[in-house]
Amino acid sequence: MRKEDTVKLISAEGFEFVVDKKAAMVSQTIRNMLTSPGSFAETEHGEVTFPEITTTILEKICQYFYWSLQYARFSSFPFLLSLLVHYR
Amino acid sequence: MNSNSNNSNNQKKRNFQIEAFKHKVVVDPKYPEKTWKILEHAIQEIYNHNASGLSFEELYRNAYNMVLHKFGEKLYTGLVSSMTYHLKEMSKSIETAQGGLFLEELNRKWIDHNKALQMIRDILMYMDRTFIPGNHKTPVHELGLNLWRDNIVHSSKVQTRLLNTLLELILRERTGEVINRGLMRNIIKMLMDLGPLVYQEDFEKPFLEVSADFYRVESQKFIECCDCGDYLKKAERRLNEEIERVSHYLDGKSEAKITSVVEKEMIANHMLRLVHMENSGLVNMLLDDKYEDLGRMYNLFRRVPNGLSTIRDVMTSHLRDTGKQLVTDLERVKDPVEFVQCLLNERDKYDKVISLAFNIDKTFQNALNSSFEFFINLNPRSPEFISLFVDDKLRKGLKGVSEEDVEIVLDKVMMLFRYLHEKDVFEKYYKQHLAKRLLSGKTVSDDAERSLIVKLKTECGYQFTSKLEGMFTDMKTSQDTMQGFYTNHGAELGDSPTLVVQVLTTGSWPTQPTVTCNLPAEMSALCEKFRSYYLGTHTGRRLSWQTNMGTADLKATFGKGQKHELNVSTYQMCVLMLFNNADRLSYKEIEQATEIPSSDLKRCLQSLACVKGKNVLRKEPMSKDIGEEDAFFVNEKFTSKFYKVKIGTVVAQKESEPEKQETRQRVEEDRKPQIEAAIVRIMKSRRVLDHNNIITEVTKQLQSRFLANPGEIKKRIESLIERDFLERDNADRRLYRYLA
Repeated sequence: MRKEDTVKLISAEGFEFVVDKKAAMVSQTIRNMLTSPGSFAETEHGEVTFPEITTTILEKICQYFYWSLQYARFSSFPFLLSLLVHYR
Repeated sequence: MNSNSNNSNNQKKRNFQIEAFKHKVVVDPKYPEKTWKILEHAIQEIYNHNASGLSFEELYRNAYNMVLHKFGEKLYTGLVSSMTYHLKEMSKSIETAQGGLFLEELNRKWIDHNKALQMIRDILMYMDRTFIPGNHKTPVHELGLNLWRDNIVHSSKVQTRLLNTLLELILRERTGEVINRGLMRNIIKMLMDLGPLVYQEDFEKPFLEVSADFYRVESQKFIECCDCGDYLKKAERRLNEEIERVSHYLDGKSEAKITSVVEKEMIANHMLRLVHMENSGLVNMLLDDKYEDLGRMYNLFRRVPNGLSTIRDVMTSHLRDTGKQLVTDLERVKDPVEFVQCLLNERDKYDKVISLAFNIDKTFQNALNSSFEFFINLNPRSPEFISLFVDDKLRKGLKGVSEEDVEIVLDKVMMLFRYLHEKDVFEKYYKQHLAKRLLSGKTVSDDAERSLIVKLKTECGYQFTSKLEGMFTDMKTSQDTMQGFYTNHGAELGDSPTLVVQVLTTGSWPTQPTVTCNLPAEMSALCEKFRSYYLGTHTGRRLSWQTNMGTADLKATFGKGQKHELNVSTYQMCVLMLFNNADRLSYKEIEQATEIPSSDLKRCLQSLACVKGKNVLRKEPMSKDIGEEDAFFVNEKFTSKFYKVKIGTVVAQKESEPEKQETRQRVEEDRKPQIEAAIVRIMKSRRVLDHNNIITEVTKQLQSRFLANPGEIKKRIESLIERDFLERDNADRRLYRYLA
């Protein structure tokens, strides 16, 4: 991963999660943050700190980002199929 | 997630509960004020271009928390007052800008405000999504625009100044200066962004008014000093300029509005003056074939209501006037072929104008056709003249012309033919002229003749051309008959003069009264042989010799031994053959011997004795006219450069007055049965019809041949009543009934 394509998400405890920008942008809030005009600190350094989000939650959020990227494209039917497969 | 945990709960039978996530309860009463202060400070920094130090996340979180803890109202009102304050500051700096820098400052501040607005909107996104819709407040972005509009664009010090600056720049550009179009575009776009109402009220409406005044003045100035062509060029240029202006820095929707302003002021208001301008108006353009100017006029006038119809009306009345002059010009009618050629030229000219300049507009073509139809029928001799024109072409005019060009000429003639109201008059003349052409063998191209017949048939139907085709058939049949005659009797005829006979079916050819004429002995014997041959092969027919037509070739030897071959008419032959047996003959003797009617005989003798270069006879006295007491001699001193001398061919001439009257009378007579046939046809199908309707129906049916005269129709109806074809209704005198 190139540095320009990534963004660092930092949890309340200080854990740093480096994820693709594309993944982070799944969140509208983060997307606005990174694409807002004007030079907020976050865009300058490519880091976003979440003082109120714990590490475990943030980890789950990052996992959600990637899951969303992978599956959001597909219609619900194939998704259900793959879900059934998992439960066998 | 919850259901799963409950399942596991049931399975594992544990008292395990997951509590709902609780937000921190805010107990601090200064919380909202403190949080707002953070945000207010951030907004200030943003407006001061100092945003780089701020943390988006922190500000977003603070706004989020405020809304969550039900302090949305405070946040919103705070936002409004904060923004308003900053906008008022901006306004001051804009107002104090000097002269040309005013627009630039306005533009700069606008860009700043937009950027700040977006940042603020991003931070306050949560409020925008949740608090605002629920409380029916204006969303942040829209709020920002409205505040800008109220505090800056509509501020008393800015509003008028802005409008005046914009209008002044446009005026300068219209007078040829170069202005900063990019800046204009940005400012106009700003007005558009503030909403269509702002754009229209604060710019577009005054812009249109000012433009109307500008063009009103300019058009007045131009029309005083320019001629029509120049004025139109200027108008076109201004129009294109405005369209370009819109595309560069105005709202696209303004294009239609500004163009209609220009069209109204520069074109619609001066339309009539332009069209009728002396020496350069529409009529002059038409006369001088100014295709470019005409095309420009067409394109500009089509944009305004009644523009094209104005052009069309002026063109039509001009065309009708020139046409009328043409057809009633006494000089021109002396030469029918010229007459028709002029008509064709005129039509070609206007055809070209319409296709090159008027976009092949059908309404103009219709106007052209109706004008031609109008004036061609003003001269009652038009049908005759058109037939003469065709005659001239088919005799010699089309010699050596390619087949395609022949078709072109014939098609043009057909065009003129279509305009005629009295097509039956044309038919009569055409028949006469065709007969003369065929019998004298003077047609240039058989194919061309047939081609024209086909065209007439397509136009008018089989009935029109059946007799004409009969004439062609007769010519062919006669050839075959002559072949048969000579094959059968060739041997015994050895020394006799060669005879060529054309047998004409009476119905097909123009009627000629039979005249008396004594043929010379050699000829009459030969003719009798032919007659018996013919009647032998065809029963139940009668032949009568048409001596007023026909030609003969004579070999003559004169006083000094000059030999010539003379081509003469039948009458002339009869006269000349008499001189084989006598040196001197008086008029009376010739008349007695030949039995030719006197007027024809006089004409014949004139052509033999009085025409220079063709005077094979000598007359005493040497006067021009033939008197009853004159005496004739062979002119022994006759000379000619040529061996073959042609004397007095029968050429189709324009009719003299009495001949014309006669033909017209015959046409009128022929129309009577046609009208009667039409009346009977109509009544048979309708059974009962009133007077006016009969007239309309009959006129419509006969339209393709001639214009029926209502008076004549009435007479025919009376005649039919007398003959018990129709009867009048007892109750209503205007109603007619068909009698089976």
